[in-house]
Amino acid sequence: MRGLLAVFQKELLIYFRSPIAYFVVAVFLLGTGYFFLYDIFSTGNAIMNETFRNMGILLITLIPLVSMRLFSSEYTGRTMELLTTLPLKSWQVVLGKYFGAVSILLLMTLGTAINLVPMYLYGNPETSTILSGYLGFILLGMACLAIGQFFSSLTQNQIIAALVTVSMLLAFWFIGHLKEFQSSDTLRDLFGYLSFANHFGDFIRGLMRSEGIIYYLIVSAIALTLNAGFLQWRR
Amino acid sequence: MSAAISLEAVSKQYGPKTIVHDLSFQVEKGEIVGFLGPNGAGKTTTMRMIAGVSTATSGRVSVAGYDMANQNEQAAQKIGYLPEHPPLYDTLEIGQYLRFIAKVKGVSSGEIDREIERVCVACRLEDVRRREIYKLSKGYRQRVGLAQALLGKPEVLLLDEPTAGLDPGQIQETREVIRKFGAENAVLLSTHILPEVTMICQRVAIINNGRLLAVDSPANLQRAAEQSNQVALTVRAPAADLEKELRAVNGVLGLIIHPVPSVEGVVSVNCQIEQRDGIEAAIARVVAARWDLYRLERQQPTLENIFLRYVQSAPQKANEK
Repeated sequence: MRGLLAVFQKELLIYFRSPIAYFVVAVFLLGTGYFFLYDIFSTGNAIMNETFRNMGILLITLIPLVSMRLFSSEYTGRTMELLTTLPLKSWQVVLGKYFGAVSILLLMTLGTAINLVPMYLYGNPETSTILSGYLGFILLGMACLAIGQFFSSLTQNQIIAALVTVSMLLAFWFIGHLKEFQSSDTLRDLFGYLSFANHFGDFIRGLMRSEGIIYYLIVSAIALTLNAGFLQWRR
Repeated sequence: MSAAISLEAVSKQYGPKTIVHDLSFQVEKGEIVGFLGPNGAGKTTTMRMIAGVSTATSGRVSVAGYDMANQNEQAAQKIGYLPEHPPLYDTLEIGQYLRFIAKVKGVSSGEIDREIERVCVACRLEDVRRREIYKLSKGYRQRVGLAQALLGKPEVLLLDEPTAGLDPGQIQETREVIRKFGAENAVLLSTHILPEVTMICQRVAIINNGRLLAVDSPANLQRAAEQSNQVALTVRAPAADLEKELRAVNGVLGLIIHPVPSVEGVVSVNCQIEQRDGIEAAIARVVAARWDLYRLERQQPTLENIFLRYVQSAPQKANEK
């Protein structure tokens, strides 16, 4: 547990001692603010449905910038050798790093809470729907980070890690579209189930279904397991 | 109690290429062993297997009694490892970096400050603890790397060319740190600086093309190497006459004569001789009878010669790295 904690603290420290975390959070909050204003003024309703949807897409393009350095930089900095020789298990490294990145995600999420202030002051929003949207947003972000972290462990080039991650995330986001072309019900269900956007859509509408929660957690777990397995295999 | 580091018939293959062949040797507690070999000999590969970065293809590596194949986590508690390039996080300050390492190595919270203080003093980093690592010179980076290895009081220290890139003063300090540590623990030190080995190592392992050529104390290696068949002398004499006289001495096989620069009329000579007792005396008699003899000695085999002899006599492989 101490090893995991030490890795976690180190990751956070590195995020905040380099400009990338600040930039990503700033760009995200700027974008979210814009979407929020636009949606509120265009509809005149105290709902965040469209805002959440746009936040999801913005998240998918920004998360790779958070996750790309997680392992790639350890390879180029030759510190991976250090991590393998220290008394650390692979899963401790993987989870320590993951929680560090998830902290950045939580920070991004927390920053958007400023939008709620005017909404609650001047409107009468549905709290449970907003909470559901936020839960979906965090779960989506966690799955994206896990996938990004796995791809970061496969290459020492951060740009490649980011590009592969963003393609993968976009694929997961839009895979639901394939559903429309299938005649077989099984395939339709499968593509629908795999879609990041479909599950996220449920959360936005206020449906906190265990199916959605489990889906995102399973995606994260698979990516992190592959991550730890790959590190083990590298030795 | 088993040896601190023990290698038994260890081999390492990458694909079809064998980097390390059937390597066996031990490093005991309280011993500094020099690991010598030309570049690409397999030193770093061997170090990495002992440190647990990679696993041996066959054979057994154990550290502090733990088998690296399945108990590498317990072993990791006992190992301090400084790779060839110090593994540092450039954006962190030295203090933050060392704190991270100390925590991972399981130094208790109450002890951490004292432990960091200890290694910083040993590696002369007291005054720069707040400095960011990316601002450090090569020498300082090396010191931070060494400090990192010493954290958590390991029993085994693995140092891959620890003095490379340091200035003479820093080299001196680093050796002192290593010697002090090695008095009570085990150190395996890879290097190609030969005098370093004679100065601080009790034993030397020579490796080339992934094969172990010799393991012994520097003194024993020197003794075991056959007496050199070179006699060097410095004489004030005309080169042509001297050559004629020396060639007449029974047992002298060849000669190289060259003038000593900046001293008029003085030449230095290298005699290739047949192994024979008393040949120095014979040469001295001949020369001293006619000219001034300044110096005459049978050349001692230096570690350098021994090293080269081992390395060159080993079969060269075509597919060198």
